[in-house]
Amino acid sequence: MYRLISLILLALGSLVPAPLLADGQGEYQSPETFLSNSFPEGVPEADVIWLRGEVREGVESILGHRYPSLRIRYWRKEDRSAWILEEIGKEQPITTGILIEAGEIEALRVLIFRESRGWEVKYDFFTDQFDDARLTEDNKLDRHIDNISGATLSVRALTKLARLALYLHQHVQQ
Amino acid sequence: MSRHHRRHQRFKLKSLYVWHRYIGLSAAVFVVILAVTGLLLNHTERFAFDSRHVQSGWLLDWYGIQAPETSESFAVGEAYITLFGKHLYHNLHEIEGDYEDLIGALRSGELLIVAVDQSILLLMTDGELVERLGGTEGVPSGMRRIGKDADGGIVVEGGHAFYQPDADFIDWHHWEGDPAAVDWVKATTLPEPLYAELIDHYRGEVLPIERVLLDLHSGRIFGRYGYLIMDIAAVLLILLALSGTLIWMKRRRP
Repeated sequence: MYRLISLILLALGSLVPAPLLADGQGEYQSPETFLSNSFPEGVPEADVIWLRGEVREGVESILGHRYPSLRIRYWRKEDRSAWILEEIGKEQPITTGILIEAGEIEALRVLIFRESRGWEVKYDFFTDQFDDARLTEDNKLDRHIDNISGATLSVRALTKLARLALYLHQHVQQ
Repeated sequence: MSRHHRRHQRFKLKSLYVWHRYIGLSAAVFVVILAVTGLLLNHTERFAFDSRHVQSGWLLDWYGIQAPETSESFAVGEAYITLFGKHLYHNLHEIEGDYEDLIGALRSGELLIVAVDQSILLLMTDGELVERLGGTEGVPSGMRRIGKDADGGIVVEGGHAFYQPDADFIDWHHWEGDPAAVDWVKATTLPEPLYAELIDHYRGEVLPIERVLLDLHSGRIFGRYGYLIMDIAAVLLILLALSGTLIWMKRRRP
């Protein structure tokens, strides 16, 4: 009897339209949690980098447009820095946390996703591609990032943010 | 073919031609609208019809687009920060985002400090966004008002206490001073000329041209049953094609 009920429930569940099961909007991790995880020994005081002059040009060349604010906040301890950046996927910004150490991406996490499509980028199978990524001399990543069908714009946005974080990390280390 | 039969055939052809002409005349205006709007919609991206907006007052009136009834403004030096509906403006420049509650705004040195909803926006004096601060950046929750103490430092009344940021808005600490001694910002009335400009500006940012083209194309611009007009025009166009084809076929017969 129990097995029959389980089978019926399983069959009914499979009839639910995919979008209802796969709504990817929401906050996956708070920025505070991301920072705590990035600096387990204690989150350092924040600092800011102003997007002016050469830095502004570099940011615009990476993103293809101006960053929506004139300064960006970051948290740094020695050669480890954490960035919480946003870039628009299709229509809404994706809030992303990026941890960098010794010029390489230590972790990239999607913190807040606001659109109904493209949320597959939140999974480790995608974000793990950025682990240990470095910036080349022409401000590109040193590797190819595999696309996810149906999430191209989200993939593109996160790739830009990864490059941006590495670029800004270089500047704050100088 | 007998003379009688040929005369009958000519009569039928002439009737068909007359019908073709009257159908064409009846549908002409609507067919032109269908064709022109269809052509333009095919090039929406090229002409940016989805991001350009209607400025025409009568068309905005037709759509019932009015400015919000309420607005709230704070003077910041020579400029004004205004919440108009859910839109926040520095003078006439809209600050991106949707907002509900403008708590206050003031100028501190070269920065404009805007407390809105659960955030503080730092702006340059020309309205360009410096940074958007939220809880992660230490902004107190439940902000009620913002002002300056006797030393010119920013004070924010939060849900349970008073807080003060450092000069760069990096760090926040409890403020233990006398709230009665704080110059809390107060809302002000927007000067009439700026208010009128803001209304025009607001209305001119609401209705995309693409929307109007789509409504014209479908007939919905003519009201609730306007789509029937275009349905009829489409049927007339079909009849026009059929009658034209029949005329052509009959003329081809020896």
